[in-house]
Order: sequence, then structure tokens, then C-alpha cells
Amino acid sequence: MKILELLAKLCSILAGALLTFITLMTCYSLIGRNTNGTTIVGDFELTGVATGAAIALFMPLCQFKKANIVVDFFTAKASQATIAQLDRLGALFMAAVFALLAWRTYLGGMNAWTTQSGSMMLGFPEWIVYAAMTPPLALSAAIALTQALMGEKFTRTDEASA
Amino acid sequence: MSAITLCLIIFGVMLVLMAIRVPIAVSMFAAGTLGYLMQTGWGPYSNFLNNLAFARFASYDLSVIPLFILMGHFATQGGISKALFQFAASVMARFKGGLAMAAVLASAAFGSICGSSVATAATITGVALPEMKRHGYSGRLSTGTLAAGGTLGILIPPSVPLVIYAILTEQNIAKLFAAAMVPGIIAMLGYMVAIAIYVRVVPGQAPEVDNDIEKFSLAALSGIAPIATIFVIVFGGIYGGFFTPTEGAGVGAASTFVAALLKREITWEKFKKSFYATAESSAMIFMIFIGADVMNSSLALTQVPNQLANVVSSWGLAPLMIVSAILLFYVVLGAVMDELSMILLTIPIFFPLIMGLDFGMAKEPTAIWFGIMVLMTVGFGMLAPPVGLNVYVVNSMAKDVPISESYKGVMPFLISDTIRTILLLFFPGISLWLIQYVA
Repeated sequence: MKILELLAKLCSILAGALLTFITLMTCYSLIGRNTNGTTIVGDFELTGVATGAAIALFMPLCQFKKANIVVDFFTAKASQATIAQLDRLGALFMAAVFALLAWRTYLGGMNAWTTQSGSMMLGFPEWIVYAAMTPPLALSAAIALTQALMGEKFTRTDEASA
Repeated sequence: MSAITLCLIIFGVMLVLMAIRVPIAVSMFAAGTLGYLMQTGWGPYSNFLNNLAFARFASYDLSVIPLFILMGHFATQGGISKALFQFAASVMARFKGGLAMAAVLASAAFGSICGSSVATAATITGVALPEMKRHGYSGRLSTGTLAAGGTLGILIPPSVPLVIYAILTEQNIAKLFAAAMVPGIIAMLGYMVAIAIYVRVVPGQAPEVDNDIEKFSLAALSGIAPIATIFVIVFGGIYGGFFTPTEGAGVGAASTFVAALLKREITWEKFKKSFYATAESSAMIFMIFIGADVMNSSLALTQVPNQLANVVSSWGLAPLMIVSAILLFYVVLGAVMDELSMILLTIPIFFPLIMGLDFGMAKEPTAIWFGIMVLMTVGFGMLAPPVGLNVYVVNSMAKDVPISESYKGVMPFLISDTIRTILLLFFPGISLWLIQYVA
């Protein structure tokens, strides 16, 4: 399971680097705009598409750490074993949603490829963003499925390696 | 099957899934999917899914959220909080319960560059809790104060819940931030008053005097310098018309990063930690967005949310009564549900209803004022039992304090919250007056 964790962490570092790149580009563009009037054309479009990729790349680690919020009010009195079983069910739901999103985003990307749709100012090809989003969504599905199948065991390896 | 029945089924499925610990985002997704399929079948639903993730993730409007989150985590990892708390302590040490007040002041200052209440609570707890313990503050008062102080992270701009409200209702983020400023400061002062009263009424919670705290000096001022500079750059830039809020978030993240570099505190390890933490909070929020999207589209297909506004206005109730009822509903719902999901799920239904009522104000001020009211209940929900997220976070960092003690500790602050919320409800001017100075 080490490999899933490693991939998830790699994804978030990549996404973090993308976000940092956006902040630097924004600063560069703003300094230009507010001094000598030169600006990066369509910088906001780049911000949008880069964030899109970054958010999808953040998904695997979020799933790995089980950071998605659950309501624990109604199960507060349940036994540890029951909660563990319910959490496996929850992970199964997550896996299904991530798999569905990965599949449909792949199809959406294929469609963007055939129609060659792009952003308004730069004509930045949208299929690139779809292509960057599909693998991390699939990875998230794989992580969630592993959590559903292995349950506690998976969490334990997580704590041991953390 | 009638539209109402269908709506009830959708909501019922969602609640059942939530109750058995299925993550909230997916509970909404699954219930919404069921409702969608029952109404349109697979074809339209699958088309809707094809660009759902793209439309939500790759949106310029929403990119402000991960950027503000990244900025907050750079600030958390960058070692800015320690000097900040020392500064606050040197200012507040003269009062009884001074260190608790200092924790509130430091939380407010940190909240001015961090948009998340949990991150603010965790960051300030890290530096303030050991000091408060060393000086003899009770576990009850210190954890209660730190949990309440954390809510200043969202009450004082920048604020992630407020950004989400702005996006959902298509309001101006800069104006909402301006509107939150005065209520945020009132919240800070209200918390300090709550501490002052509490330490006098309940004995043994705080020492008579806080000994050996560095006296206020010009050197201590340097503790607040980085945060003050970043705040001025970001908000000066936004309100000076130099850049948009999203660009402000970018500039803020970059300058917080530079400030951390200058402090020589940030290492590759801490850098990675800020990315990991940003990953968890951003992905969690965007999954809720996706789930709420499916749920809301499915509900919108039933036409019930549209009709709700007409039905409620036909009752002829006083507008303030309807707002109060909604806020009370939020407090109750917030007791079991997470606040962000609550906003995403209910604002698309309640907002048209509110805009259809006459409060004697124009559309925009009404929308902004209601946003501030919603924000107040979110802050309340972060503290109130049985599920106050901030209380959990702070309590998990204070190993020797039972959670029941922490909940007792937040009571004075919940009273303060209630008084402030009522004040803001009846006097919209408190939230709105600063906006007139914003272009």
C-alpha cells in the first residue's frame, strides 16, 4: 500500500507546486499591470485551469487520510467494530463516486479533444485539463477501494509509515 | 409521484447515508444521483457528469479558495504565530485573564491572513496552550478560549465560508469581506469581555496575575509586523483597486511564503506539510461542492425550491421572523452537520426566498447582510455541542483535558456569540456601514 500513499503524496506536491506557480505568475502579472502596463494576457484563465488540475491532484491524499467529513453524531455510541465496518461502506461509496467521476471526466476530455474546445482569451486547450484530472481521480478511486476492501489493516499501515 | 414526495425521498436518502457515516459529500452525491435518475434517466445525468468535475475544479472564481487555504498553511508552518502570541501577551498581560485575552487577540490577527477557523484554532493552540498551562490557566478556560478564538479565522476576513456564500449568491467578495470586518472586531472584543467576566465569576480558572510576561516594548511589535504587512498588501491591494480578491489570495500566499522564508523557519519538510494540509482541506471542500452540485441540480429539477419561495411569502410572515427561523434552523442543523455542506446545500434554496422578502433595504445590502448572518451561525456551529469541530481540534491537542470540560469552556463564548448575532440581526447597519467606503 506504500505505493498508493507515495503516489498520493506526489500528486499533492505536484498540485502545491502548480498553485505556487500561479501565485508567482499572479504577482509577476500584477507588478507589470500596475507599473508599466504590460500584463500576461489571459492570466486568469491560466489560474483557472491550473487550479482545476491542482484540485483533482489533491483528491488522492484527501481520500488516503480520510479527510472527507462524516457525521459521527448518530454513531457516537456504536462499537469500534461497527464503526470500522461502516467506514468501509463509506469508502466503497467514495470509490464508486471517484470511479464514476474519473470515467465521465475521461469521456468529457475525449469530447473536448474532438471539438478542440479552448479557453476564450488564450484558446488554452481544455482537453489538457481533463487529461490532468482523470488519473488522480482514478487513483483516488483505487485508494478508496483499497480502504473498503482492507478496512483497518490499510489504516494501520498508514499510521506505521506516517 | 408528486414533486414534494420526490424531494422528501432525496433528502431522506441523504440523511440516512449521512447517519451511517458515509462522507457528507458522497451522501449528497448519491441521493442527488438517485433523484436525477428517477427524473431524467441515465442520458441527461451522464452528460451532466461529463464536465461536472471540470466545471467545478477549473473555475477562476473558485480558485480563490485553495489560494487562501495555501496562504493560511504557509502562515501556520512559517513560524509567524509564536512571535504574534508573544506580542499579544505583552499587550494584554495587565488584565486578569490576560493570556486568554492574548490568545483571542492573536487568533484575530492570525485570522486576518487565514480564512479557516480550524487552521486558526490549531495554529494558535500550538503556541498559546503550553504558555497558558504553565501560567496556571484551567484546561476548561484555555481550550474554550482557543476553540472560540479559532472562529475569528472565519469571522475576520479573509473567510472561506464567506467566499463560498459570495460565489453561490453571485455577490461581490470584496464587499462581503468589508461587511465582515466590523462584526469580526465586535466578536473579538465580545470574547475578551466574556473572559473578563468569566474569570471574575468562576474562581480558579485563571491566575490572579500573569507573572514573568515580557513587558510591552517596541521589540515585541516586530512580532506582528509580518502579518500586518501581508494584511495591508492583500486588502490594500483589493480595496485600492490594484487587484481582484483571487489575485489578492495569490499575492497573499506568495508574500506569506516570503515572510516564512525571511523568518528562516520554513524547511522542505514544512513546505511539504503545507501542501499536504492544503490538499486535505481543499479536496474536502471541493468534494462537498461536487456532492452539493448533484444534489441541488436534482432538487432544482423537481421545481420545489422555486415554489418554496412563493409558498413562504404567501404566508405573510414578518421578514425578520423568517430570517430568525432560518438562522435557528441552521443552529439546529449545524449541531449534527458540517457547516460548509450546510451552506452549499441550503443557500440555493433559502437565498431566493430571502431576496423575495422586503427588509426595507435594496437587494445588494440585503444579500450582504444575510451573508454575515449566515457566517455568524457557522461560527456558532463550530463551537456548539454535540459536534463543534473547533472544540474537537483544540481538545485533541490538549491531552489532559476531557472534552466535557472543553464544552463547558466554550459556554461563555457561545453566550457572547448569541448576543452579537442578535445585535447584527436587528441592526444591519453594523455590517453595512463600512461597505460605503468600498468602491
